[in-house]
Amino acid sequence: MAAPPARARADYDYLIKLLLIGDSGVGKSCLLLRFSDGSFTTSFITTIGIDFKIRTIELDGKRIKLQIWDTAGQERFRTITTAYYRGAMGILLVYDVTDEASFNNIRNWIRNIEQHASDNVNKILVGNKADMDESKRAVPTSKGQALADEYGIKFFETSAKTNLNVEEVFFSIARDIKQRLADTDSKAEPSTIKINQDQSGGAGQAAQKSACCG
Amino acid sequence: MYGTKSKIDLAFEYQSQVAVLRPSIHSRRANLTVKFQDLYGFTVEGNVDDVNVLNEVREKVRQQGRVWWALEASKGANWYLHTTIGQGSALTSSLKFSALANAITLKKLIRKGIPPVLRPKIWFSLSGAAKKKSTVPDSYYDDLTKAVEGKVTPATRQIDHDLPRTFPGHPWLDTPEGHAALRRVLVAYSFRDSDVGYCQGLNYVAALLLLVMKTEEDAFWMLAVLLENVLVNDCYTNNLSGCHVEQRVFKDLLVKKCPRIATHLEALEFDVSLVTTEWFLCLFSKSLPSETTLRVWDVIFYEGAKVIFNVALAIFKVPLV
Repeated sequence: MAAPPARARADYDYLIKLLLIGDSGVGKSCLLLRFSDGSFTTSFITTIGIDFKIRTIELDGKRIKLQIWDTAGQERFRTITTAYYRGAMGILLVYDVTDEASFNNIRNWIRNIEQHASDNVNKILVGNKADMDESKRAVPTSKGQALADEYGIKFFETSAKTNLNVEEVFFSIARDIKQRLADTDSKAEPSTIKINQDQSGGAGQAAQKSACCG
Repeated sequence: MYGTKSKIDLAFEYQSQVAVLRPSIHSRRANLTVKFQDLYGFTVEGNVDDVNVLNEVREKVRQQGRVWWALEASKGANWYLHTTIGQGSALTSSLKFSALANAITLKKLIRKGIPPVLRPKIWFSLSGAAKKKSTVPDSYYDDLTKAVEGKVTPATRQIDHDLPRTFPGHPWLDTPEGHAALRRVLVAYSFRDSDVGYCQGLNYVAALLLLVMKTEEDAFWMLAVLLENVLVNDCYTNNLSGCHVEQRVFKDLLVKKCPRIATHLEALEFDVSLVTTEWFLCLFSKSLPSETTLRVWDVIFYEGAKVIFNVALAIFKVPLV
């Protein structure tokens, strides 16, 4: 059982776990299928509980395996899906630009993230179905942008149907997470030195103490 | 480092093995793909080997049908409706014995599959739906659907969202007529039990019930008896507490009944509820071919909710066979 992971380890440099959340019917599964399989179909099925897809991308010469979790949007499923928040490194908050209620609910979804996800999780706001006729649009781009600015997160309008900005959303959040992981990795070394310094400092203090006592 | 978390990959490989049961997944010898509609209108796609297996199974079902007809001939029509050993003292001991014998015969027969033509009738009486229906006026379903027509609730909004997403492409379910029928059943039930209202997953269950029972009213009563009597309580209510209980029970069962698989999955950090949530809430209708699902339901309606666990354990054991 120990051997296969070693083989698997070779096929990517980073494993990034993403989570898609948002109201029922905003197109989370469509976005994911478009990104993972490059296809779109209008005959979509309801997601029950949780589902996932995988795609490996290349970013700045590094192979990044994206493990993307898709969730059921109906409110009662939150008792199931919130268990997956904690393991997520990035969360895509999806609403439907033709459905104002789904946009207004984004604040509730963010509250959920604050409750259940890790503090440093990356977030991105996604207004899906942007291909729809302007007459059907209920949430202007500026409103989406304003909300994203308020929370200090990035914002994209997408269309799983026409493949507008789908790649961009996933690549954008993946890039930010990779950067964060790389930063923590490089910080890890100085911090070890720091501990050593602290220790030597402590030892120095102890030495001073003993010197004092002695 | 994140590279060490690659154990998860194996979990995914494992899941793809489980998914072999889905009709859409081709097995390795898929050089000749065959596509056809099954008895209930679902498209089945597979290679020649799959189809041969399916034909063998069908032949067995036909033989099984002949057994049912033979029994009807010898025991009389509707014999299977008189298998409960009466509490009434009026029954003579010989009658009690024949009822018991019938019950044993029936259990064996049902496990081998109810012939599709008999399915609606047998489900309706053995599940308790007929009894449930008999306690209310005949016009109950019609009155209910009329009374709730045009009302908008969070449940109806969610139902409307899900209608086109329930078995899309099905020749009847995915038509305006099919959508309307499914809507009436789900909306009516959402008003019958406001604690449940509507829960995603019920759309698949009700859709399949409609296809089997043929009439909306019978499908409605099957849904009612399923949620109120057959399944674990609160599976579909607001916080899905019954569903959470089932997940925990199943995890314990897997450890007890399939310790090797359980240890293996744990080593892979694979959480079984990733697949079992959908299995249990949709009663396998989203994961198994319709004919297989209905064989499972045959047994659920006669023997109860424990069958869900038996089937889930069996699916986990499939890769070992």
